[in-house]
Amino acid sequence: MKRFYKYLMLFLVPVVLFSCSSDDSADKDEEKPEITVKYNDGFPQACAELARGETYHFKAMVTDNMELASYSVDIHNNFDHHTHDDQGAQCELDPVKESVNPMIFMENHSIEGSLTSYEIDMEISIPEDVDVGDYHCQYSVTDQTGWQSRTSIDIKIVE
Amino acid sequence: MLYKLLGICLSIGLCSYSYAQETYSISGTVVDARTQAPISGANIVGASAYAISAIDGSFIVKKLQKGSHMFKVTYLGYAPKEMTIEVSKNISGILVELNETDMVLEEVELHGKTKNRQVMESPIVTIEASKEFMDSNRENSLMQTLDKIPGVSTINIGSGQSKPVIRGLGFNRVGVVQNGIKHEAQQWGSDHGLEIDQYGIDRIQIVKGPASLMYGSDAIAGVVDIKPSPVPEKDTLQGEVNLLAESNNDLLGISGGIYSLKDNWFYRGRLTYRDYGDYKVPTDKINYENYIFELYDNYLRNTAGREANASFSLGFISGKVKTETFISNVNAKNGFFANAHGLEVRTSSIDYDTSNRDIDLPFHNVNHFKLSNSTTISLDGHLLHFDVGFQNNYREEHSEPVPHGYMPKPPNSKEREFNKNTYTFNVKDDLKAIGGHAIETGLQIEFQDNGIGGWGFLIPAYKRFMAGVFVYDQYEIQPDFHLQAGLRYDYGYINTQAYYDWYPSTINNGDGSTSYVYLQRAQDKDLNFGNFSGSVGLSYIHKNTTYKLNLGKSFRMPLANELASDGVNYHMYRYEKGNLELDPEESYQIDVEIGHDAPLFNINMSPFVNYFNNFIYLNPTPNYYETLQIYEYTQSKVFRYGGEVQAGTRLFNRLKLEASAEYVHSEQVSGEKEGFTIPFSPPLSGLFSASYQFYKILFLQDPVFTANYRITAKQEEIVPPEEVTDGYQVLNVSLQTKINVLKNTAPLEVRFKLNNVFDTKYYNHTSFYRLIDVPEAGRNISISLTQTFY
Repeated sequence: MKRFYKYLMLFLVPVVLFSCSSDDSADKDEEKPEITVKYNDGFPQACAELARGETYHFKAMVTDNMELASYSVDIHNNFDHHTHDDQGAQCELDPVKESVNPMIFMENHSIEGSLTSYEIDMEISIPEDVDVGDYHCQYSVTDQTGWQSRTSIDIKIVE
Repeated sequence: MLYKLLGICLSIGLCSYSYAQETYSISGTVVDARTQAPISGANIVGASAYAISAIDGSFIVKKLQKGSHMFKVTYLGYAPKEMTIEVSKNISGILVELNETDMVLEEVELHGKTKNRQVMESPIVTIEASKEFMDSNRENSLMQTLDKIPGVSTINIGSGQSKPVIRGLGFNRVGVVQNGIKHEAQQWGSDHGLEIDQYGIDRIQIVKGPASLMYGSDAIAGVVDIKPSPVPEKDTLQGEVNLLAESNNDLLGISGGIYSLKDNWFYRGRLTYRDYGDYKVPTDKINYENYIFELYDNYLRNTAGREANASFSLGFISGKVKTETFISNVNAKNGFFANAHGLEVRTSSIDYDTSNRDIDLPFHNVNHFKLSNSTTISLDGHLLHFDVGFQNNYREEHSEPVPHGYMPKPPNSKEREFNKNTYTFNVKDDLKAIGGHAIETGLQIEFQDNGIGGWGFLIPAYKRFMAGVFVYDQYEIQPDFHLQAGLRYDYGYINTQAYYDWYPSTINNGDGSTSYVYLQRAQDKDLNFGNFSGSVGLSYIHKNTTYKLNLGKSFRMPLANELASDGVNYHMYRYEKGNLELDPEESYQIDVEIGHDAPLFNINMSPFVNYFNNFIYLNPTPNYYETLQIYEYTQSKVFRYGGEVQAGTRLFNRLKLEASAEYVHSEQVSGEKEGFTIPFSPPLSGLFSASYQFYKILFLQDPVFTANYRITAKQEEIVPPEEVTDGYQVLNVSLQTKINVLKNTAPLEVRFKLNNVFDTKYYNHTSFYRLIDVPEAGRNISISLTQTFY
């Protein structure tokens, strides 16, 4: 029996040591940045209709616990209904169709000055000649550590 | 032993009386001659009767007529033993002692040592998985079966595919070797399985630690070495059919094998077919990045698959030569979860829910063809091994063609195609030199040609050449004290080919003008690498206890994707950038192992400390390319430690208890992610198992009831973009038994298994689908039937 306890100790000591292994997570950034258009000035809101030839201020609020790094805005068509957005509202989609000259907008910018909160504000013009129909507007943001958050909004480009 | 048997025979013979028409039974125990540990699963074959030894080594042969009976007792890895018993009354207490052996007799002559003894004497930390282990633990894929070995885990891709992870490192950091040839598939890919038929495998050796010395690049974290099956016994013709059915994914599988040895020739053949539907998870919706996917009837849509494998080998064995030529083909088609293959979220007009067996887009088709020869020649104290191999790995990935960014809608569904040819040549000389030295010298050469196709770009086409020479000495200081030291040099050459987009991208120039450019994604580059690796270690055997200490240095050549990728990974929805400046990865590791193996109790501990000079890792940067986050291959110093403990005991002769725990801690100690762990770090995990051997229940022979309880801790050690994974507890139970169905042949082996008894919803941190918040499979009932024919 004495032998058994000896072995039991041999078994338990490393297990206890392993489980006690400390980690210095205090100075590690383990939080993703956050992104939202769900506030008064946020634009576009879910199911928004944007007219061709008009210019809009695209606005979203981004925050992070430590330091924001970059953001990007992507507008692409959803003529094939490939995804729905994550805003919670169900927008009515037009019938599925093929694209002819869809609007493609892709831009990214860095956020200077070690900020923890920032309002994205981009002036984007909707060209006169692009296809009308269902689109997605996708915002992405990264923090300095490399965490990323994204959000997509169902929008429509109309005449 | 012989005298003991003879004594039994004689004494029985002396007091033999005749009772007409009456039958008798004999019983006894099969044990290992050296350790006296019971051997379960040994075959006791007579002319008209048959038995298999139970978990405590006991056997009983019934319905024997009066008279003289010859029995042959066989067990894999042991020399067969014949005994003649005069039966005239019930006999019990027969002790059969088997001696370990190896089927290639020359090897035993040369080393004069058994496989087990060799493992004990080698300072390298290895674990063996026997056919018995494979049969009683068989899961859906090879690596899932091996998952129960402490220190081994898997990256699962759905229910039918998995790849090995040893102490937290996987992909190209674990070498897989089959019949002496390194298995070359698309192992760098995250949604790629192993492509090896898990039936017909008799012995697997797992090296937990740096093993470049013997296996070359890629064996930096360990090796899964699938050994060739032993040569069949003389003048045998044996066959085996295995049927498998599972409830969770409606799997039906059949595998049949045949093998024979006649005169000096032997052959083996096997056919396997498996077909399974979508698997079920214990949830009705999946919530990923704020998108919600409703699941129809808990089915993870489009994860069905099928697999058809064939293999044949022909061998010749004589006193001095053993040669075997293998030919095999593995073909599989697997669907991927439709809504988020990788990280891109998609809905589709395909009606996935009409059938749970159809395989719609996205899916992949894989074919792995292998032709190889292994030859061993014994020559004046030398043992020469030659391995020659050719492999073709062909993989097509199909997904719905969708426009993205400046890429218009592609013309078809073939997103990626990989066509890889690998030629291997290994030669090794084992020399039993004087003065207690056993010297191995070897040369390994590999040439690889990887072609690409399809509309999606991820890795460039490349050609790769590698050659390594090694020398390795095992010095016997005393019979129980061994020193091993080895050195290896490798040279590698890689040529990546240029790749340009097939569509133009819009570039806004500084002067306000716009140009349309076919962007270059990969460059035409020639790169050369050279690296030394080595190892030195000690082993000491004291009675039933083995002590090992080993220090090793291993390396890994950077892969083409790590060097030269430069494009959008649509599956992962990110932009991946290679780095031509990468150095070969170098890893230093100290391994310790203490094992105590007594008949009633065993314990094993294997801690390790590991340091990577320049761990290659895909680092998520804070920057964007267009609107996708840029991930860049970088190198950082990584410090890791951990280990495994395992203990087992046998109580009341019939109850076997085992407990094991595994743990790895990894930390990047330099670079941009300093302080973070490395991707896919397995959490602390423990496995408790209990098995009880019943005598007999109704018509069930030797039923063994087993319960496995896995407790896994929460994994909070993560690195972007991973998520914290909660701990979990899962119970699996199984019942293994035998039923006499056919006369004059082995009984039908039946295995009934219930996985995830409580239908627990849990996440596996190292599962491919963990990234998109898909839980592990729910409750699963499986029935496996195996019939052996003589």
